[in-house]
Amino acid sequence: MRFYQFILKNVLQRKARSALTMIGVAIAVTAVVALVGIADGFQRSFRELYENRGVDLLVVRAGSSERLSSSIPQQVGEQIRGLPGVRAVSPGLMDVVSFEEANLTSVPLQGWAADSFLFQGLKILSGRRLEADDDRGVMLGMVLAKNLGKKSGDTLEIANREFAIIGIYESFNTFENGSAVMLIHSLQTLMDRPNQVTGFQVVLDDAPNKKELIERVRREINGLRSSSGQPWGIEAMPTADYVNSTSQIRMAQAMAWTTSAIALVIGAVGVLNTMIMSVFERTREIGILRAIGWRKSRVVRLILYESLLLSIIGAVVGIGAAVVLTRALTWWPLVSGFIKGDVAPIVMVQGFFIALAVGLLGGAYPAYRGAHLLPTEALRHE
Amino acid sequence: MSNVPLLRTERLGKTYPDGQVHALVDVTVSIRQGEYVAIMGSSGSGKSTLLNLLGALDQPTSGAVFFENQSLSVIPDLDRFRARKLGFVFQSFFLLPTLTAVENVQIPMFEGPLAVRQREAKARELLGLVGMSHRVNHRPGQLSVGERQRIAIARALANDPVLLLADEPTGNLDSRTAGEVLDLFAHLHRDKGMTIVMVTHGQEVAERAERLIRMRDGRVWS
Repeated sequence: MRFYQFILKNVLQRKARSALTMIGVAIAVTAVVALVGIADGFQRSFRELYENRGVDLLVVRAGSSERLSSSIPQQVGEQIRGLPGVRAVSPGLMDVVSFEEANLTSVPLQGWAADSFLFQGLKILSGRRLEADDDRGVMLGMVLAKNLGKKSGDTLEIANREFAIIGIYESFNTFENGSAVMLIHSLQTLMDRPNQVTGFQVVLDDAPNKKELIERVRREINGLRSSSGQPWGIEAMPTADYVNSTSQIRMAQAMAWTTSAIALVIGAVGVLNTMIMSVFERTREIGILRAIGWRKSRVVRLILYESLLLSIIGAVVGIGAAVVLTRALTWWPLVSGFIKGDVAPIVMVQGFFIALAVGLLGGAYPAYRGAHLLPTEALRHE
Repeated sequence: MSNVPLLRTERLGKTYPDGQVHALVDVTVSIRQGEYVAIMGSSGSGKSTLLNLLGALDQPTSGAVFFENQSLSVIPDLDRFRARKLGFVFQSFFLLPTLTAVENVQIPMFEGPLAVRQREAKARELLGLVGMSHRVNHRPGQLSVGERQRIAIARALANDPVLLLADEPTGNLDSRTAGEVLDLFAHLHRDKGMTIVMVTHGQEVAERAERLIRMRDGRVWS
């Protein structure tokens, strides 16, 4: 018999309790992997939105913590376009709308210029793309169209105004698939934000030292001034910095980790409880093992490995459940436009190691207690 | 039998802190290599306390235990000492209920040098020695009490101990089964040269040993 077989027998001997502990760990790991995975997917989705289009810099209102409400005069775009090294600039206005009848809230509504390079990332599934004179037209991402039950040629009421659905598109990006796009001046009129944009997406020329170019243009954009000589108060940020500092993403991550921490504490207490009970029930057995010469370290390993085994099984089950849950959430209209539906391997690895930590933490004290039982007292235990 | 003491105690005392119970008072005994000794006494006489101290399961309050002329108090790893030098047989057998006979016998071997296959082969050999070859894959719950004690004896022999310590080994057995277990002890002593120290309260059981140490009120009486 090998040591691990002995451990396995101990775990299998108490099937119900082992199963309950494993489920406790699995739920904690599911919470961690699903929540952190969703937050991570949200961040990746956001980043790929820019990176896949080759966007090097994002220009927003300086110091604006709430990026959606960032507001910059549209004419700044012309100044940016004139800077050396700048290949393309796309102004963008973004807002969120709700479609109560479809139970959809916070649907992103994008306003783009008719000639924007951003349209290149969209594959038209039906209808056509927006043209310069489609003032009352809107394009819907495929997920949004499905959730609304709309097709091209239908009409859609947005903020009490009727728009024609010109086309349905599929984007490489989940976030955009759950969004709607209209011409920027239409959105400016609709939201009563004339000549204002949320920000600019800037693509730079290819250069041998791109980082240097990005840094130079960034400084130049930050220094732009109005015709009256006043600074515009804008801030250009490299894509990754922009995404990482976006308050919604940071909030999503903070929420995910906070909720996960609570789930983990509950999981660890579950393991602790099981292993303490297990050590208590097996006091005499541990006494026998000690009496016949098992060292304290072997007793510690016995209890810790049992606890780790439960945690590992819990981790595998929990990660599997998180993957299924995250995938299932993409079928739920309310969130389907925000969730990528896949969990990054790194998040699964994090979940796995967190489960190991839960097992170690939950098993540590019982292992210590077990190892320090006096054989003579343990043998007298009934 | 050698005249060299394998085990001896010097003015051994044990006082339990709760209520100042003097379980042992100035106990000095000597056990030679290859000797079969019974320690006899009524309940509370201190015989089990003495056995626990001889087996390094507990620490004396005063005095010392010497094994092969070395004080147990200077042995740095008493767990290893117990695993390598001693075999324990208990009144209640203390077999692990989830393990089969052959697995129970292997438990002490985890602290020994044998590889997995060697452990199993040796466990089977020891079960043969105690007449339990036909029960290797049975769990304790599937065995009679006598059979359980035989397996416990096989387990005690797992690491080729120098000394076998038995605490009331026949206490839970009927007279016929007890006789079989004592026959087994006699065989181990006579044919294998095993040193055995057995604690008992039964005169008949004690008489199976070569020498009898009587205890009363924590002292050696005769």
